[in-house]
Amino acid sequence: MGGWRDPLLCVLALVVSADLSDARQAKRAPMVAAAANLSMALTEVAAAFEREHGSRVELVFGASGSLTRQIQDGAPFELFLAADEEFPGRLTGAGLTRDAGIVYATGRLVIFAPAGSPLKPDAQLENLGRLVKTGMVGRFAIANPDVAPYGRAAEAVLRKHGLWEALRSNLVIGDSITQAAQFAATGNAVGALIAHSLALTPELASRGTYALIPDDDYPPLRQRMVLLKRAGPQAQQFYDFVQGGAAKLILTKHGFSVPD
Amino acid sequence: MDFVALRVSLWLGAGTILILLPFGLWLGRLLALKQFRGKLFLEALLTVPLVLPPTALGFYLLVTFGARSPLGQAFQAVVGHSLPFSFQGLLVASAIANIPFVVQPIQRGFEAIPSDVRDAASCCGLTPWQRFTRIEVPLAWPSILTAAILTFAHTLGEFGVVLMVGGNLPGQTRTLSIAIYDRMQAFDDRSAGVMAATLLVLALATLMTTTALSRRVGVRRV
Amino acid sequence: MCGVSEPRLSVGLRQAGPIPLDVEFGCDAGQVLAIFGPSGSGKTTILRSIAGLYRPDHATVRSNGVAWTDTASGTFVPPHQRAVGFVFQEYALFPHLTAEGNVTAALGHLPHADRRSRADQLLRSVRLHEKANRRPQELSGGERQRVALARALAREPAVLLLDEPFAAVDRHVRRGLQDEVNALRRTLDLPMILVTHDFDDVVRLATHVLLLERGRAVACGPMTTLMSRPDLAWLREAVGLGAVFEATVRGSTNHGLMLLGFDAGTLLAADRRLPTGTTVRVRIPAREVILATHRPEGLSLHNVLVGRVSAVHRDPGIDPVIVQVEVGRLLLLAEVTQDAIDRLRLAPGTPVHALVKSVSIDVVTTDSGLGARDSVTTT
Repeated sequence: MGGWRDPLLCVLALVVSADLSDARQAKRAPMVAAAANLSMALTEVAAAFEREHGSRVELVFGASGSLTRQIQDGAPFELFLAADEEFPGRLTGAGLTRDAGIVYATGRLVIFAPAGSPLKPDAQLENLGRLVKTGMVGRFAIANPDVAPYGRAAEAVLRKHGLWEALRSNLVIGDSITQAAQFAATGNAVGALIAHSLALTPELASRGTYALIPDDDYPPLRQRMVLLKRAGPQAQQFYDFVQGGAAKLILTKHGFSVPD
Repeated sequence: MDFVALRVSLWLGAGTILILLPFGLWLGRLLALKQFRGKLFLEALLTVPLVLPPTALGFYLLVTFGARSPLGQAFQAVVGHSLPFSFQGLLVASAIANIPFVVQPIQRGFEAIPSDVRDAASCCGLTPWQRFTRIEVPLAWPSILTAAILTFAHTLGEFGVVLMVGGNLPGQTRTLSIAIYDRMQAFDDRSAGVMAATLLVLALATLMTTTALSRRVGVRRV
Repeated sequence: MCGVSEPRLSVGLRQAGPIPLDVEFGCDAGQVLAIFGPSGSGKTTILRSIAGLYRPDHATVRSNGVAWTDTASGTFVPPHQRAVGFVFQEYALFPHLTAEGNVTAALGHLPHADRRSRADQLLRSVRLHEKANRRPQELSGGERQRVALARALAREPAVLLLDEPFAAVDRHVRRGLQDEVNALRRTLDLPMILVTHDFDDVVRLATHVLLLERGRAVACGPMTTLMSRPDLAWLREAVGLGAVFEATVRGSTNHGLMLLGFDAGTLLAADRRLPTGTTVRVRIPAREVILATHRPEGLSLHNVLVGRVSAVHRDPGIDPVIVQVEVGRLLLLAEVTQDAIDRLRLAPGTPVHALVKSVSIDVVTTDSGLGARDSVTTT
């Protein structure tokens, strides 16, 4: 039935030619990788961008670490809005970005508890500490410290209050900050340490309460964005837009503090 | 319902079948008809994607074809973009992950054809190609169809490999199963529910079809 | 070499294993060579080698002067390019095609337009044209065999190979099929090779026999010669010895007997109501033959043949002994105890009378196809 070479060539040809994006290569909306805590805020910014400039961007949310990994492996993003400075720094170090980028916002950490949870959020985590001591704490959610800067911050806070070791066995690790928020919002955890921006969203605001963690309790969540080398003019436009007044207003509304 | 994701899923399923069916026909038939040293090892190797966790498969694919690997860079040079995080990358990953679903049913289908029926075909003057198309394939078609349907269904349900190798790029690698995850994270349970139900219905339809077809395999002996 | 020189089909196969083979034979047009042997003796392998489905280490297969296989020169014609008609043991019909479809599959050498009518013609010749649209599953065993036969003939083969063609069929159907094959032999001008482990097939159909044991030819030659050999202990154990020869019906008596004429005289056998002039094949088991030094009187039997002992064959440890008696050109066999041989002092050259009861003469086939049969050919 023929040798093995012919089928192999056919397969290779098929694979190389099967490019769904080919037809729209020229006019496709640039892909923007964004930290999960921006899911609401950045969507609004993108909508405003489209209204003003008439062009779209394709937003993909995830944990900063995961997105960094993907970009290193060749994912075709043109702009990356991270939740910290270290992850974009890695990309710059690897020569994948145009420059070192810019800090576009600073985020804040909150402790959140769904309605009906035994945990009542307070800024000093005293209630949490009490629950832990009495052995009444169920599951507590944070984002994965390895890939999510907010998870890293959460770990720092817990350590500061001496709760890290005690809570360890009760921790539920979300692969992104949104997943951690989900665990708590759906009642699968008694509470979570999540992004302020997420706690302000209607989905979470309607399901529970939160308290802001003091800034001194964790390293600042300065969020940096970088343009990748392959970035086109549209991505550049969006990069500029995020630094503009309209975007800053939206970001502030969502609980971020923005540079002047 | 994310129709773009549905489209990606359907194209992925169709594309995987397109790539794998010829391969499966060739290899499945070969395994059915020939004995050779190392055949057992080859059969085991072909079954590996069944038992290997999808994340392990994804890992190996990223390591082999990622932007940091020589193969990946070669691909990038020729085609213009990286293999992972593209639809083509998904096709490759999906094809590898589905090999057992294609090869095994087809192999059984050809094994079920009595050898003297094949010999009779030769003695009737049919060339090997004619024998294949007029006698073997018509007798093995339930298995071939089963292979195609199983592959399609399995592809629709792929998650781990797709996420690792494809990322979650809308319009390119965001399949229906990824979209469900995506929507859940965004607290959009309604959309997630609709898509999950769609996949459930497709899964049931697949199972019913393959069960009905499997009744027809091996009943051909006269 | 067993057979005529320069036969239409000549075969030589040799290998040590995995299936041992060591045969050399030929088969000419109009001959039916029966390869007879126990299971596992390699019979089917020989057929498959002729068809090109099996390739022994050393083989030559020549048909009509063309080499199909010649390991010495590296020639090998693939099976689909050999004009071979093969009827497989279990017919190997294509289950997804109708009877007509099966036959048409072998008509690739004809232009499209002619295939339908030729298939029709072939199915008619095996009396199955009314069932042309049936699938093999819907046909009986005998019908399937006939489709297989029609398909084998569709190829316009240079040689017809039959692998235990009656093994899967009931006894009463078998006779009818055997008659079909006999009729074929007369109408086609082909070498036919028939593999069987049932001696009934051999006796009824073969013109030549090759006795096979573990891949080797124990004996090979024309049927009548072989059956008159006293020394084939193997055959004796398997089916019993007895002369097989052809005779002509001369007429019937009014006592329920018929006259059969052969070159050296006549025999009286049980009447079969066959027309005068019919050629029949006749078998006289050695067990049924009595020898006498003088013409006896007052005996009930009808046949006393005058002849001469031509050979005496003793198998060590087996009594009775086989005595070969020459009656004209016919070689009869008789089973005689050693004691009797000593008493009568029988030795090659001794004149002797061979006594045969009329009921012992077994008419195995008649020339006229169905002829005077009581059983209707059903399947």
